[in-house]
Amino acid sequence: MANPEVHHLFHNPIADHSFSADQQTLVVARDTSVELYGRSGSSFKLQDELKGHDKTVTSVDIAPSTGRIVTCSQDRNALVWEPSPTGYKPTLVLLRISRAATFVRWSPNESKFAVGSGDRLIAVCYFEEENDWWVSKHLKKPIRSTITSVDWHPNSVLLAAGSTDAHARVFSSYIKGVDQRPEPTVWGDRLPFNTVCGEFLNNSAGWVHSVAFSPSGDSLAFAAHDSSITVVYPSAPEQPPKAVVSISTQLLPFKSLIWRSEDEIVAAGYDCEAFRFQGGEGGWQLAGAVDTRGPSAAGGEQREESALKMFKQMDLKGKGKDDTQLKTVHQNTITMIRPYQSSGSGVAKFSSSGVDGRVVVWTI
Amino acid sequence: MSIIQQHSNATLGDAWRTINIDALTEDSSVNFDTSTLHPPQPEISEADARQINTQVRQLLRGGDAEGALRGCLDTPVYNGSEAAKDAHLQTITEVLQSIKASEMSPLLKSIYSSEGGNEALDVLMKYIYKGMGAGAPKVSRTPSGVTPQSTGGFSQVGGRPGSNEPTGAAMSVLLSWHEKVVDVAGLGCIGRTMTDWRRV
Repeated sequence: MANPEVHHLFHNPIADHSFSADQQTLVVARDTSVELYGRSGSSFKLQDELKGHDKTVTSVDIAPSTGRIVTCSQDRNALVWEPSPTGYKPTLVLLRISRAATFVRWSPNESKFAVGSGDRLIAVCYFEEENDWWVSKHLKKPIRSTITSVDWHPNSVLLAAGSTDAHARVFSSYIKGVDQRPEPTVWGDRLPFNTVCGEFLNNSAGWVHSVAFSPSGDSLAFAAHDSSITVVYPSAPEQPPKAVVSISTQLLPFKSLIWRSEDEIVAAGYDCEAFRFQGGEGGWQLAGAVDTRGPSAAGGEQREESALKMFKQMDLKGKGKDDTQLKTVHQNTITMIRPYQSSGSGVAKFSSSGVDGRVVVWTI
Repeated sequence: MSIIQQHSNATLGDAWRTINIDALTEDSSVNFDTSTLHPPQPEISEADARQINTQVRQLLRGGDAEGALRGCLDTPVYNGSEAAKDAHLQTITEVLQSIKASEMSPLLKSIYSSEGGNEALDVLMKYIYKGMGAGAPKVSRTPSGVTPQSTGGFSQVGGRPGSNEPTGAAMSVLLSWHEKVVDVAGLGCIGRTMTDWRRV
């Protein structure tokens, strides 16, 4: 495989990252601010800092076609940053939540976004023309705990959410006047707001870190804290699913997952590297790590060293080899992976960011 | 005392910080029975647990260690009385102690690669942890005649868990099983033991 493109931005955790559609701009959530990086040559340079939140920023997302950035934070607010010739202008969104906002994503048609929160609800936000502001409607039932992640169905009406109450759920976020009536799908045909189209958990019921619809939207995958991923194939509205496939791994839990194509999933988390899963309705299995270059290549700096240097090291540090580095590209937990570039057969490149302050673009 | 001072004394106190605001919210998780979120587990009585014990002993006597271990791992007592749970822990500890150290790894590998083996080793890990926890409180109890002396810190007088002979031996068996299970089922197995709501 091609060498990954590594950008070590700073020495702080990155809560979330997002690339613009042309991949020239990278936004990362760093502590209480949002940093905007522009591509210059092969690296990224800090261009702008979006300041507006006064607590940790938890999530950030760029809308591919409008270029609007939405951010949310533990200060219970979400901001929409509108690009303008003089820089980004923030607009406050009326979320009406009393706990931290944890996760935000634009819908594929970019007319809405969903904000997950610790207030046991999801705020579905849309722009109200007559009042000229962003308002929200709450998806409340039957969520019992913090929402950790959300993912949109390609039709921009169905929304999947993972929660710390160990359930992954599929909701309808249909808003009259904003949405077109969606085509019937396997999840349901009549979909008023807050219809629960599916509610899933796996056997050991670890809390859910990440959810994702497959590219077609006809199946759902989620990663839970019991080191497993579970794939759900619904059959028809109001019917039990055709198949629920759960794979418990020997690895540490996954924090984030994406579908590469209908038969391949990439997941990454506390093991600091990404893994591929392959399969289908009949069953899934772990197909190995994405980085197949072997530990020495991934470590990077492991060169043949002179005897003098080795003895010097042993004298100084009491050991010959410097083993303070992990053998993976990321040196700490990967918290988010996102599709970066797609080709005919699915996602060809994906990007990952983590607690070590690195953003890495991988070729699959 | 000025009225401003009175006012600020009242508001600057930190008693409000200790209010459990979750208890005041009607639909918060503390006011909600979270067990209803999960499918119910079949109840296993103490008599059932004892019956499994006799079956497993028979298998052990017949030399089928894998069958014996598999037999008790397939019927974990998730929902049952304390007595039933303890009886089942007893059964599993007996099986674990009767298997030779050299047989552990091949046996675990063969269970892991079989159908549902992943789940079985998760159950085994839960019982290993339960077994480790079981011996501790009994030995560290202080005699009632002695004047209570709260040292607050770590005391060696009460005896470390495992300092007396039988518990010590059981503990070392469990520790070596723990190591072997992690070799086969990975760290994910420990994570599942901690996250799983089905307690043994």
